[in-house]
Amino acid sequence: MPELIITKHIDVPGIDRLSVYRQYGGYEALEKALREYQPEEIVELVKKSGLRGRGGAGFPTGMKWGFLAKNEPRYLCCNCDESEPGTFKDRMLMEKNPHQLVEGVIITSYACRVSTAFIYVRGELAYAARQVQRAVDEAYAAGYIGKNILGSGYSLDVIVHRGAGAYICGEESALMESLEGRRGYPRLKPPFPAAVGLYGGPTVINNCETLSTVPAIVRNGADWYASFGTEKSKGTRIFCLSGHVKKPGNYELPLGTPLRTLIYDEQYGGGILGDKKLKAVIPGGSSTFILGADKVDTPLDFESVAAAGSMLGSGGVIVMHEDTCIVDAVLRMTEFYRDESCGKCTPCREGTYWLVQLLERIEHGHGKMSDIDLLLDICDNISGKSFCPLGDAATSSITSSIKLFREEYEYHVREGCCMVGPKARKPAAAAL
Amino acid sequence: MAEEAKNDGLVHLTIDGIPVAVPPGTLVWAAAKQAGIEIPIYCYHPKMPPLGACRMCFVEIEKMPKPPQTACTTPVSEGMVVHTKTEKVLKARRGTLEFLLINHPLDCPICDKGGECDLQDFTLRHGPGATRFDLRKRHYPKPIPVSDRMLLDRERCILCQRCTRFCSEISMDNGLVMINRGYRMEVGTAPGEAFDSIFSGNTVEICPVGALTSAKYRFKARPWELKRIPSICNNCSVGCNVRIDVRVDKIMRQMSRCNDDIDDGWLCDRGRWDFDYVNDVQRLRTPLVRRQPGGALEPAGWGEALGLIAERLRAVKERYGAAAIGGIGSTRTTNEEAYLFQKLLREALGTPNVDHHHGFFPGLRDPLTGRPWMLTTAIADFERASHIVLVASDPYERQPILNLRIKKALKAGARIYVVNESSTELDRLATRVIRLPQHGAGAAARLLLEAALRQENLRNPREEVRARVLGTFQETRQAEALCGAETTAALRELAREIAAAPAALILYDEMATLAPGCANLAPDLQALAVVTGNIDRPGAGVGPLFEDANSLGARDMGLLPDSLPGYRPASPAGLSYQEMLTSDAVKALYIMGANPARHLADGNLRRGKEFIVVQEILLTETAQQADVVLPALTYAEKDGSMTNVDHHVQAIRRALRPLPGARADWEILMDLAALLGHPWSYEGPEDVLLEIAAQHPLYQGLTWESLGLQGVRTGEVEVAHA
Repeated sequence: MPELIITKHIDVPGIDRLSVYRQYGGYEALEKALREYQPEEIVELVKKSGLRGRGGAGFPTGMKWGFLAKNEPRYLCCNCDESEPGTFKDRMLMEKNPHQLVEGVIITSYACRVSTAFIYVRGELAYAARQVQRAVDEAYAAGYIGKNILGSGYSLDVIVHRGAGAYICGEESALMESLEGRRGYPRLKPPFPAAVGLYGGPTVINNCETLSTVPAIVRNGADWYASFGTEKSKGTRIFCLSGHVKKPGNYELPLGTPLRTLIYDEQYGGGILGDKKLKAVIPGGSSTFILGADKVDTPLDFESVAAAGSMLGSGGVIVMHEDTCIVDAVLRMTEFYRDESCGKCTPCREGTYWLVQLLERIEHGHGKMSDIDLLLDICDNISGKSFCPLGDAATSSITSSIKLFREEYEYHVREGCCMVGPKARKPAAAAL
Repeated sequence: MAEEAKNDGLVHLTIDGIPVAVPPGTLVWAAAKQAGIEIPIYCYHPKMPPLGACRMCFVEIEKMPKPPQTACTTPVSEGMVVHTKTEKVLKARRGTLEFLLINHPLDCPICDKGGECDLQDFTLRHGPGATRFDLRKRHYPKPIPVSDRMLLDRERCILCQRCTRFCSEISMDNGLVMINRGYRMEVGTAPGEAFDSIFSGNTVEICPVGALTSAKYRFKARPWELKRIPSICNNCSVGCNVRIDVRVDKIMRQMSRCNDDIDDGWLCDRGRWDFDYVNDVQRLRTPLVRRQPGGALEPAGWGEALGLIAERLRAVKERYGAAAIGGIGSTRTTNEEAYLFQKLLREALGTPNVDHHHGFFPGLRDPLTGRPWMLTTAIADFERASHIVLVASDPYERQPILNLRIKKALKAGARIYVVNESSTELDRLATRVIRLPQHGAGAAARLLLEAALRQENLRNPREEVRARVLGTFQETRQAEALCGAETTAALRELAREIAAAPAALILYDEMATLAPGCANLAPDLQALAVVTGNIDRPGAGVGPLFEDANSLGARDMGLLPDSLPGYRPASPAGLSYQEMLTSDAVKALYIMGANPARHLADGNLRRGKEFIVVQEILLTETAQQADVVLPALTYAEKDGSMTNVDHHVQAIRRALRPLPGARADWEILMDLAALLGHPWSYEGPEDVLLEIAAQHPLYQGLTWESLGLQGVRTGEVEVAHA
């Protein structure tokens, strides 16, 4: 098993308490950062480490910090609104090792000269929010947060905020609207958060996993971190493996590990449920394009997955075996986007409503052959036309599945039932 | 040539091959509009920040990533090349329109908006001819009331969020909000609350579809049946520009006719919907005459009524002298009528007694600036104020559209200070609210002025003010005692702020000057602005907020006992409004468009009056006591000019055929003048305006034509009268 970074101590009993966390080197990175580094040096360090955002877009973290406008007050938002279907890594990090996240938040705040940081936790994750709040409280009591941290002269407040339960609030600008007490609506960009963000101040906003990685980079150095992964996708990340595998779960792997290893290796997925044939994989959460079984040897790094025709996204790897009705699966995902569309813009609000009705009709055997191309045309009218990427995301599974499995859609229209899976019409002899 | 063009401070771009030059920061949508190219919009409204939600205004911009772009959110840049009709753009627009229509009920034949609906119009011009949607539409119960004046049809709503943004950004009352999410999203109010904003009607006007409808206009007319006449609202002194929509000589509705300098495109609900008196069946349609003393008012012909007036006024004049006649003018009739009214009284009847109901302002002019009593700043310049101090004034109740301008100033960074006896709507947005005791405004003004005068580095320390105020401790002590220590301290703190403010604007209500102990309210606040240097600087100023549509015009026209038109002193000065009403020496009262009975405790106008004439539109308390009642016309039935609170002279235009039997006040006055031996030769109000312009420094050079559609602001610089 390769060296673990973020999940190294995740299973240590009591690691969620400050005393145990400290026994395992907790807050040493913070002390080192405050003692040995100027804020700008940490930004450089993270740039050098090659760390890229773990929220979905994979933007270089250090570069993001470097863009921050110089005016005060500036803010840090930690995006823990993990809601992407198929993704459950941040939840684990918050529930099991919240101090690692808090330490990352403090170091990042110091690096970005921020004096107020917010941790925005998805509303449904009540336990995670309690764990993070307790860690913050402990950190305050121990002097890691508050006035004059560890005698360095640096002061910081950290506020844990629970969302009210909306997928859109994981979008950075909607998250800030929500934090400010308004409807979770994405904001017009530009201006970007680095210039005008929370309460109008320059704001750096990073994913939970990204910030949980920062202490290790400070402790062990940029070169050490950059030694993992590939040339352009450095380090490790957590893959949330779900679907038709024997051992679903969170697995931390160096970037560039082949998809096949994640799915089939005994240490990880352990193979397909019932040893069936692999049909398709969604590599980065339900917003990314579906890959066919032929892409199983794709290395899991940003560039290779993009070359294969999808995105590494949030690391939510959803595996589908041969008995999966693709129309049913896509319908289920599209319903999610219809329900979670914030409603601000027309194409996403109305388009997803239409897509779901069409998919329902096809799935239940009442579709028309023209519906398939209509689906594609509606997707074209949403994708790139909606206000924020939610609309684009809603179309990924539809366009990629029609491209890969068009015959299944046509079968539904022609035969009025699923081609595969439990709802497929059994051969006449077997039915008797 | 090209070099020259680059130095004009504008941004140059081409849209569909047409070169356009616009100021930096202009949005592509506005630049296209300037070039005469229509880009369809729903969510965008020029008076609100861009939202980018409806995804209708797509254009393609060369060298920009991910086409198409939204024109309403993209500012222009130098050398930009925009295409509005590429295949990508056209497909995207068709796509959006198809989306908007999948859940739209298409009940255009019974929809108020049909014929002036952006969804209808843009679908025709930019949309697909047919839909591909053959599934279930979203349904709601239709329509639901959101207040007793407005209804909401959620099926027609395209969720552009103009109405909810008006409520959050402009009126700042959040009366309408978006509820729920995604395809279940709808417009609504807070649970159990009505949308009772006094600005609610604006949301009906800016709604691009028929989702929000007014109970008053609902099913009353189709847009293509309406005659649209540009006019001015008659309901308060702001003078908002309206369009009167008329069907068969009835006002159906009033819409905004945006004037950036006055109303900024908004109307209050009073201005929009309170026009019932024009269509009222109780309107006077024939002169009424009391043929016997103590008898009833009986219908009469115009000849008899006017003849009787001339005869009786002559008789009063012969028996008691001309000074026994008094004239009370109106704050809602036109400048021309006010002018002719005082001319009739002063020239034809020879009496100096002319006045109207107004606030108390000592002298014709403020002695410190030498200017007539009026606001020293333009409404549009409120936005440039750093401090807005409202002393005993509540624009929300009395000049509502100024409330919106003050909120706009607030957004631009102004601080608001409310100094008032009772709570006002702006309290919740104010930096400081100073609560006064009853009738405490005069004392507050005194304390503000006194504290300002004690500041070091006063911008404009005027000795005469210092001598007047600092020399009389008694008044200051009385003011302190009335206000109490806490309020006094707050006022002194505010005075310090005003003295140091980059641009303080001090506003007070005209009628607050009439309260006991408030006689010096106007001069003290005027002096406060003068000594703190808050006059003649952008955003700074001081002035009264007048009551009625032509309150300032009435003053300008010399409906004052001590002032002729143009603020020339009248000699001898006549009796004041109160004196005329209460003095036994006045035997005949001529009242035009006023209701003085309301200002008398017992409502009795008689008090020794032998003869009372009233020109009115309805049989008011005052008209009921008259000997002759002459039926007059409303603002919607005549031409003329009005002068608003910041001295915009604006035209009202005849929108309806006059009510049969009634006549315009100016026509009545002319006929009467002729009967009294003064045949005037005006062809119409235009000629009267020319006469006013010839002798009034604040109206110099004005003609009917020059008023145009948006009026002319005069009075900034008074031309010295020869």
